Amino acid sequence: MPSTLDRRACDRRTFLRAAGAGAAALGTAGALASCGNSETTEAAGKRKQGRGETTTLTWWDYFTLENFQPGMRALIEDIEAGVPDVRIRRRTFPFADLERQITLGAVSGDLPDIAIVDNVSMNSLGGSDLLADLTERVEEWGQADQYYEGPWAGCQVDGKTLGIPNNSNCLALYYNTEILRSANVEPPTTWDELAAAAQRLTSGNRFGLAMSAIRTEEGVFQFLPFLWQTGGDLDTFATDGETALAFLDDLVAKGSLSEQCVGWTQQDVNTRFIDGRAAMQINGPWQIPTLEKATDLEWSVVALPRDKESATCLGGENWVVMASSEKQDKAWEVLEYTQRRSVLVPYLESFGNLPSRKDLADAGTWASEPAKRLFLDQLSLARPRTYGPGYPDISRAVADAEQAVLTDSAAPSAAARTAAGKIDEALERR
Amino acid sequence: MRPPRTAAPHRRTFALRPSRTPSARLRRTGYLFTLPGLAFLALFLAYPLLYNAWTSVHDVGLSGLLGGATRFNGLANYRATVSDPDFWHAARLSVVFTVGSLLFQFTIGFALALLFARPFPLNGLLRSLLLVAWLLPPVVSGTLFRWMLDGESGAYNALLRAIGPDTLARDWLIDPGTSLAGVVFANVWVGVPFNMLLLLVGLHTIDPELHEAAAIDGAGAWQRFRWITLPLIRPVSVTVLLLGLVYTFKVFDLIFVMTGGGPVDATTVLSLYVYEVFFRFFRFGEGAAAGLLLLVVPLLAGIGYVRRLRREEREESAV
Repeated sequence: MPSTLDRRACDRRTFLRAAGAGAAALGTAGALASCGNSETTEAAGKRKQGRGETTTLTWWDYFTLENFQPGMRALIEDIEAGVPDVRIRRRTFPFADLERQITLGAVSGDLPDIAIVDNVSMNSLGGSDLLADLTERVEEWGQADQYYEGPWAGCQVDGKTLGIPNNSNCLALYYNTEILRSANVEPPTTWDELAAAAQRLTSGNRFGLAMSAIRTEEGVFQFLPFLWQTGGDLDTFATDGETALAFLDDLVAKGSLSEQCVGWTQQDVNTRFIDGRAAMQINGPWQIPTLEKATDLEWSVVALPRDKESATCLGGENWVVMASSEKQDKAWEVLEYTQRRSVLVPYLESFGNLPSRKDLADAGTWASEPAKRLFLDQLSLARPRTYGPGYPDISRAVADAEQAVLTDSAAPSAAARTAAGKIDEALERR
Repeated sequence: MRPPRTAAPHRRTFALRPSRTPSARLRRTGYLFTLPGLAFLALFLAYPLLYNAWTSVHDVGLSGLLGGATRFNGLANYRATVSDPDFWHAARLSVVFTVGSLLFQFTIGFALALLFARPFPLNGLLRSLLLVAWLLPPVVSGTLFRWMLDGESGAYNALLRAIGPDTLARDWLIDPGTSLAGVVFANVWVGVPFNMLLLLVGLHTIDPELHEAAAIDGAGAWQRFRWITLPLIRPVSVTVLLLGLVYTFKVFDLIFVMTGGGPVDATTVLSLYVYEVFFRFFRFGEGAAAGLLLLVVPLLAGIGYVRRLRREEREESAV
């Protein structure tokens, strides 16, 4: 049975290759980071004895936050109890590190059997031969039609099924009911109303609106709905991107949105909302459990305000099996097991996630709780970010444009034009 | 009254030269002793460097990683890198970051070294405390500075508001105009103790009799500093600056923690640029090429340093 020794060897290999792959010039920061943060279920003492050969599957995900741990532990215990002779060895990475870790692993040969990856990663991982082709297994399984269209489409690359949706989410507008009530402001439904409300709700150290405009995919995830709401898309960024950027620029200029949002993660945004330093926030359903713990906070949630169109961004994760895994049969067995109603519903509930399966729409807390119901209803509007292998460049161009505008180093028109040039080039690589 | 100094003048010790004709067997044994060192170098220096050089002349993307479908593409990666305006932007930032850091690190470090060269109560304790800045992991110091420079709740803004007009306070790391200054500020804090310590050692090698003699001849404090301390500290200074250049040019972790290269690309120095080409855009070939180009400056500085050392040794043995 593989022991910790085994893992140490892998880590050293990662270290060497990482250094080799050009991180040499960077010192060893990246490689060292790759040795951190591991968690196994060995400690749980759930070792099963006897009967048959036990298969140990390595599993990587990025659910590092504490409030995810009970649900994840329960899921793994459930799997180890329900799937015969399987043990899961889980390792977690910070959100921004998982994809990098997988690419490092591709060089060093240190890859997991199963991973839960951001659905946007399918753009870059999809064309890389890193993911196992699940097409035949899925056909045999015959449950493809149970999934919502967007999430399922996000798992298809070049006609192959490379993943199974784990959960889906999207963005909506949270508001502090107490603050809105005392300011006599209705929750906004259009851009104009949003701008007016945000301005009226700003006072002292409280901003009317908080959102994340950080220079990572997180910030882009929050920005894209504004672009789509103009009626445009990435291929019309020069004009529609300008409209969206100008709208946000205006919010910052009026002081309704803090310029500091260029450094905030969605977690930071939520913290400010809970502290009462933001009257409204754009965020996803994964914040609901945290918000519910803040007992003195009264909040509610509405759809993102619309401009020409209503739109929100599809988030969530997909299960993938690595092509390099020698235990693909067992890994698939595990994936299939997680999709059972009795397993999936409590898992998704504990994460505050929404199902990607239509047949679960009326099963869990999301069926009855209004906030979750709202997010679930929004899923029909949620658009996936399926733009092909050039997406990392697109994402960077969009993030840079937004940051340039919000920090006043470029006008919306100029920033949009610059970004559009890069985006068009990257879109062609599809 | 202090008793006159009678201590023998400081003399540098000479390295013992190996005797000229060791037996062949002894010499062979001698080479054996170099093996662990050579193995270490091969494993941790030569292999990664060669691997990197190999990558830099191949077309390696995410898709080529597993199947090994990599194609030799000559200098295409280098061409792509040097024709990328972002690369030159990053190179400029690296130069500004390095020059800015070195300038302040050295000046402040020198001033502190002069201070600590004099005996005063708690000298040793204070000196060791200053070293903490050098000993802290960059991730920790980066995080500390990120908090302290925060626009809303940062300590520096509170300080600035307390002593001056409110307009002094700003979002140091969010504002593209000041974010580079912010990371330089943090890096100066990290580097000052290193500069101070080496310069202090340098100051101690200056024969105190020279100062005494000059003082007797009527030289004032400034004149003694200008005509004795400065010329005699010059070799140490050059060494300190060269080493500083090597360290500073490749700083990654501190900046990565503080700004992640942003806002926009205001703090994307070369090391961050290389990181992004690798792990964000997955263009491994180009990343390797850029990584090797990034090596050029520290390498030149390193060669300069080694040559200086040799020349000094030659001069000493000529004495």
